[in-house]
Amino acid sequence: MIPMITAAVLGCIGIAVYGMFFGLVLQGVDRKWAARMQARYGPPLHQPFIDIAKLLCKDNIIPKNAVKSVFNAAPVIALAASITILLYLPIGSIMPVLGGWGDIILVIYLLTVPGLAMVAGGLASGSPYATVGSQREMVTMIAYELPLAIAVVAIAWRLNAAGVADPFSLVTLAQTPVWGVVGIPGIIGLLLLMLAIAWVTPAELSRVPCDTPEAETELCGGLLVEYSGKNLALFSLSGAVKMVAMATLTVVLFLPWNLTWFIPLTGAVGIVADLAFFVLKVLLVVFFSVSLIRVGMARFRINHLVTFYWGYITLIGFTGMILLVLDAVLGMGVVA
Amino acid sequence: MSIVPAFPEVLRQILKKPVTNLFPARYLPKSITGFLNKVAAGEATINPPVALPPNFRGKITYDRDICIGCKLCVRVCPAHAIEFLPETKTVRIFVTQCIFCAQCNDVCPVTCLHMSDEFMLADTNRYSENLIVE
Amino acid sequence: MSNKPVYTIPIGPIHPALKEPILFTFDIQGEVINAVDFAPGKVHRGVEWMGMRRNPVQIVHLCDRICGICGVSHTLAFARAVEQIAEIEVPERAHYVRSIIAEFERIQSHLLWAGVAAHELGFDTLFHLAWRVREEAMDVIEYLTGNRINYGIVQVGGVRRDFTEDQFPRIRKALETYEGLVNKLVTLFLEDTTIKLRCMNTGVLTEKDALELCTVGPTARASGLKMDVRADAPYAAYGDIDVKAILPDVYADCIKGDVYDRIVVRLFEVVDSVRIIRDLMDQMPAWPVLWETRYAKILSTCKKAEGEAIGRVEAPRGECFHYVRMNGSEAPQQWKVKASTYSNQMSWLKILQGEQIADIPIIVASIDPCMSCTDRVTVIRDGSPDVMTKDTLHRLSVEKTRRLQA
Repeated sequence: MIPMITAAVLGCIGIAVYGMFFGLVLQGVDRKWAARMQARYGPPLHQPFIDIAKLLCKDNIIPKNAVKSVFNAAPVIALAASITILLYLPIGSIMPVLGGWGDIILVIYLLTVPGLAMVAGGLASGSPYATVGSQREMVTMIAYELPLAIAVVAIAWRLNAAGVADPFSLVTLAQTPVWGVVGIPGIIGLLLLMLAIAWVTPAELSRVPCDTPEAETELCGGLLVEYSGKNLALFSLSGAVKMVAMATLTVVLFLPWNLTWFIPLTGAVGIVADLAFFVLKVLLVVFFSVSLIRVGMARFRINHLVTFYWGYITLIGFTGMILLVLDAVLGMGVVA
Repeated sequence: MSIVPAFPEVLRQILKKPVTNLFPARYLPKSITGFLNKVAAGEATINPPVALPPNFRGKITYDRDICIGCKLCVRVCPAHAIEFLPETKTVRIFVTQCIFCAQCNDVCPVTCLHMSDEFMLADTNRYSENLIVE
Repeated sequence: MSNKPVYTIPIGPIHPALKEPILFTFDIQGEVINAVDFAPGKVHRGVEWMGMRRNPVQIVHLCDRICGICGVSHTLAFARAVEQIAEIEVPERAHYVRSIIAEFERIQSHLLWAGVAAHELGFDTLFHLAWRVREEAMDVIEYLTGNRINYGIVQVGGVRRDFTEDQFPRIRKALETYEGLVNKLVTLFLEDTTIKLRCMNTGVLTEKDALELCTVGPTARASGLKMDVRADAPYAAYGDIDVKAILPDVYADCIKGDVYDRIVVRLFEVVDSVRIIRDLMDQMPAWPVLWETRYAKILSTCKKAEGEAIGRVEAPRGECFHYVRMNGSEAPQQWKVKASTYSNQMSWLKILQGEQIADIPIIVASIDPCMSCTDRVTVIRDGSPDVMTKDTLHRLSVEKTRRLQA
């Protein structure tokens, strides 16, 4: 028992460090890409690290009418929850640290926790801007949860229909590319689901066009408006880790292939090759669903956001799900 | 792509060279003054600023030897940046006060005032030697 | 909706949605604006006070600095007022030079506004794009006048620098650049779905309201009012060429007076300005460009002048109005500046009513406010700013007139 706990603890620390480091790198890359698309050079790649280091040096300022305990606890909860998600997600060919104790449903629940922590922190900060921001964040969460759930459930159901055991487990998802079990309608359905997930990512990460809860020009930062110093650094880190989590989730659901499946590499070389391939896939996801979308659009108004996610994205998700169901019912692809 | 016309535009742009002028350095140096000192010492290279247009109005230059002390420049200076020194019958120009309109250049009967191309005039001291022309 | 609590959100004096200091107070119910109030006067700098202690030749450069964007409009309005009082005849060519610079200023101001509007919508790519293409106009202005802003080109009685034939190719190159860019800008700004979603039917100012609230410039034209000082009361060289007020129906089918229409008007005014500059360049008469090159003579003529006059100019944001009164002394006895935002700002109360919080930045920006142009009064008594009612202002002005007459 003891060595197992030690391994788990070490694994958790390792994952936490990895999540924060990779998240900040991803943010740097995203900023660089966005800058290039706007004909700028952009800040250096390590700018997010500089920002975090600077924030960590600064004092926390707590507003007079804030609920101090909630206000201070929210950033810690947000970061902890974000890191916890990573414990359930595979990295390349490295299987999740806590893979045996939770499945993708848990991941979806955990994904809402940082958002809820931000809502709590925003409401506790006692600023009208933050209050409006918190209300918007709640509405945003309600709006994007449905398409996300549809995509996950549809994929797991299709795997189940193909006779794959334990389809909600991330280990299963990572080892069984769903593309392999579907026929032509299924492939179209999966592409639609992928589109839906690509649009859920900016909402989950509060990026333009879905940064309505933070809306710099309207609410000067919305629910984060009163946060400063170390607390803000924790929220920024939580956002960075969440970016890794969301990108990894997309990779696991839709692009789970590993290099070692095609090229016979073993041992450490294989793991490194898989990791490099994994980073490449994550960068691809970040480019399309974070950088490209955020430079190509204006911010949604909150009512547009709800219409967009409940109307269009849910519709796309449902169509994808129905196609997957048809695929199984018509017996195309692999059916058990 | 007429629904989101910016997408093709930004995808084309990512392959092109950015347009930012990287003056004075690509990324912010640790200390700007330190960096400029290094440039002066020849240890670092500076990215040149955008080329100045002809007839640019930079820091004022003053040729006190041909000045006749007519005080016309003092009269037309909108910013009261020019002070007349009665003892020497010359003028003293406070560059921090100057608004670079070059009206004194136009009005000077002996053209002893000119605008140079120098524009890097930031200083922490309003009365530093660099910012008073006499 | 009615049982939701009403809470107050202050926006300003300093806020990311505002490019200049002004204080808005919103009563919000849910996400909807119930009531609006605003308090300008946060960037009062006493420019008129300074002007009344300087001679007109000095004031023209002070005018450049009333506003960083519409520098030449204020200068031109002031110079025109003084020229009328002192009966100075401005040479023909100077009129053309003034008009060309004013049109380039319109191009850069409208593109700057387009960028700011995109930023307010959270569309930073268009902000960067608009400001990047604006550089071309800035470069030409810098090439012609020596500086990017605060051009210092207008003088009482003409202009200080002439345009030479060898400068024309550079101007033509800039005009061609803009002619090539028009389609791209129109597509990116007017066909984008998110911009349409956010701007159409937002901040609607009906034609009747626009007229009653005395709006001017693009704000009035976007609501369908055919008014443009360049066409209605031509000044400088605008009498020689064909200028028409641009209404949103150049692009859309109907005129709604919403934020979208204001984008349409400004973008198509850029197109029209390019055409106007071309026309002006084709017809430029021969020099001189200054009524009198000896400044001493300008100064003495202005000193002798007595009387009052107004100068009206169509600035990029609307009509810019200067009143000058001279009484035979070095400095003017009275100088009043009324910038276009002063006329437009009251429309905020109308167009913000019933809109959402999310639309505050873009609606506020849609009239292209310039607070430093506008703020001519701020009252601070016993350390606290005091609000002046219309009655008080009227009483004060009557008292002042009596004092002046005595």
